[in-house]
Amino acid sequence: MNFHSLRFRMTAWYAGLLTLSLLLFGVSVYLGLQHYLDSALRKDIAEEARSIGDKILEDVDKNGEKYVIEETAENYAPEINGRFIRITRQGGTELYQSRMPKDGSFNPDFVSRPRGPANSPPYRREVVGRATLMVYHYEYSIPSGKTFLVEVGASYHEIAKVLHGLVFILALGTPIIVGVAVAGGYWMMQRALQPVNEIAAQAERLGYRNLRERLPLVHSGDEIERLSMALNRMISRLDASFQHINRFSADVSHELRTPLTILRGELETLAQQHVSLEHMEMIGSALEETDRLSKIVEQLLAISRLDAGEACRELVRLDLGALAMSIADQLRLLADEKLISMTFNVTSGVEVEADQIRLRQVVANLLDNAIKYTPAGGWVKLSVFLLDETTAVLEIQDSGVGIASSDLPHIFERFYRSDGARSRSTGGSGLGLAIVRAICVAHRADVKVSSTEGQGSGFRVEWPLATKVFTVDERTSGAALSSATRNPSSTTQITLG
Amino acid sequence: MRILLVEDEVKVSNFVSRGLSTERYAVDTALDGNRGIELSQGCHYDLIILDLMLPIIPGNQVLKLIRRRDSNVPVLVLTAKDSLQDKVDIFEAGADDYLTKPFAFAELVARVKALLRRGPVNRASRIKIDDLELDRLSQHVKRAGKRIDLTSKEYALLEYLMANPGRALSRTMIIEHVWDQSFDGVTNIVDVYVRHLRSKIDDGHSRKLIRTIRGVGYAIEEQGAW
Repeated sequence: MNFHSLRFRMTAWYAGLLTLSLLLFGVSVYLGLQHYLDSALRKDIAEEARSIGDKILEDVDKNGEKYVIEETAENYAPEINGRFIRITRQGGTELYQSRMPKDGSFNPDFVSRPRGPANSPPYRREVVGRATLMVYHYEYSIPSGKTFLVEVGASYHEIAKVLHGLVFILALGTPIIVGVAVAGGYWMMQRALQPVNEIAAQAERLGYRNLRERLPLVHSGDEIERLSMALNRMISRLDASFQHINRFSADVSHELRTPLTILRGELETLAQQHVSLEHMEMIGSALEETDRLSKIVEQLLAISRLDAGEACRELVRLDLGALAMSIADQLRLLADEKLISMTFNVTSGVEVEADQIRLRQVVANLLDNAIKYTPAGGWVKLSVFLLDETTAVLEIQDSGVGIASSDLPHIFERFYRSDGARSRSTGGSGLGLAIVRAICVAHRADVKVSSTEGQGSGFRVEWPLATKVFTVDERTSGAALSSATRNPSSTTQITLG
Repeated sequence: MRILLVEDEVKVSNFVSRGLSTERYAVDTALDGNRGIELSQGCHYDLIILDLMLPIIPGNQVLKLIRRRDSNVPVLVLTAKDSLQDKVDIFEAGADDYLTKPFAFAELVARVKALLRRGPVNRASRIKIDDLELDRLSQHVKRAGKRIDLTSKEYALLEYLMANPGRALSRTMIIEHVWDQSFDGVTNIVDVYVRHLRSKIDDGHSRKLIRTIRGVGYAIEEQGAW
């Protein structure tokens, strides 16, 4: 779990606040209930004491003390109710005292007498053994002038039981509620943040080559919808500026063509005049540079067209191995000249879909580079094979000078030269690999490079296999084709000196 | 042979008309589409060379108007645009051929001649230059009567050179004829092949037939002509 994730932090805050408020709520409920039960108990025992006076003691003279004892015991049943009742005659002799309650929680004999004057505070708290009692005392006078002290007490036991129950419920309930809420909140946060994750994942995939794609729109009406819309508008602006750059390089290339035509034409006209050999040499050199400039303009235009997705419309099904072999065959002399041995490891029947000229250009450029940067006596190896059910691989390895690791990430960039002097002396526009990459990207293929300086380089092109979907009338020949694609039965291994 | 050149860039127009005049063509020039249409209606031309990007009336509009009146005159289009769609548009508008700027003059002449159907498309089965003989049927090559073994690429290269005797062929033209345009980026393939061919053809002979024309390309010709 990522403890810094928004989801985790939000949930943690939420859980903390919820726990805190539940604790505050519990404490106030506890205190409120305690207060309420306490005053209810006080009221209860005071009423009981008064009713003993009013209903039983009132007629003590008429009915006798025995009646008082029996009536009190019968009507109030203090032993059963867990109450304490004591009636004391004036002078301190006891008229009645309840016996030990049924649950034996306290012994009435140990309840002390109220101290001080009769008008001392009517409620007092007594600790009897393990129990705490609330005792109310009240002086009752009958018309004949006799006074009795009536005491009614009740144990806190019941209140404590209720309060304990409450604490138990709160202690058990709070973690459950918090737990459920946290789980729910975590899930809700995931739901709420899911679009953000999707947006982030999609945004990761966007590069300058697929800027026409947009992030998923979240129609939630909330901040995330606003975020996705704002990001999409930003991508639109990026797209527009990339297109602008692309159009710009295409426009520049176009604009350069006319002056180049003139330059070339004038120089050629000049070359036809009778000029000195020295001047002829200079004109020739100027013409060569015009040529190079033309080539650069052409290749830049080709790249910007590939980037804009305008090229590569003539897709045809091609045998990658056969195509690569035929290119290698046509370049053989270049290798022979430098005594470079060319080895082939080509699986036949690897079919790809491509613009033929473009794919040939990829192979020709890579092979040309391999031969160019391999010193005399070295080797170049060309392999074509199936990587898996969807991808064909073309690999061109050499025993050449290799590429410095600091240059590796840049070699597919336009005009990137790892070593100006060396590259320039071997010619080339500095656009060859940029074109290779542009072609690959336009075909949804991938080109990778690996190299050890001084030991050689390997270029690997991963091209998607031709899809095995056939129209109705192609079905018969298609079956044979697809089985050939799946079971590359023959592998050609040829070595040319 | 009379050629109409419709091209708004004065400098391009100048060197093209000058160059074609040297090749003994009569060239009329128009600097905009209107003038081009006027001229094309005024007299008969054997060939029209038309730039696509013209002021007033765009080139493909001019082309359509020309086609409406005269469906036979060959039209060679000069263009700075060479995307697939542009090429399709050019042919749909009725062009016979097109040439992308910047072009080598040699290539312009080659295409003009091809369109006018009068060489240098040398269809003879045997071509002979000095004491070098090439037989198209048997694909045998002999110098001073001695058989020379060539690889298929070397043969194709020599045949292309010999079919255009005395004409400087640019590397781009050679690549497109002998290889294909996907080899355009390959650095020095033409030079390597020409070097090999030269060693087989010219080594041991006092008269060197294959010439390098710096900045332009290669040509083959009898020695006295240069």
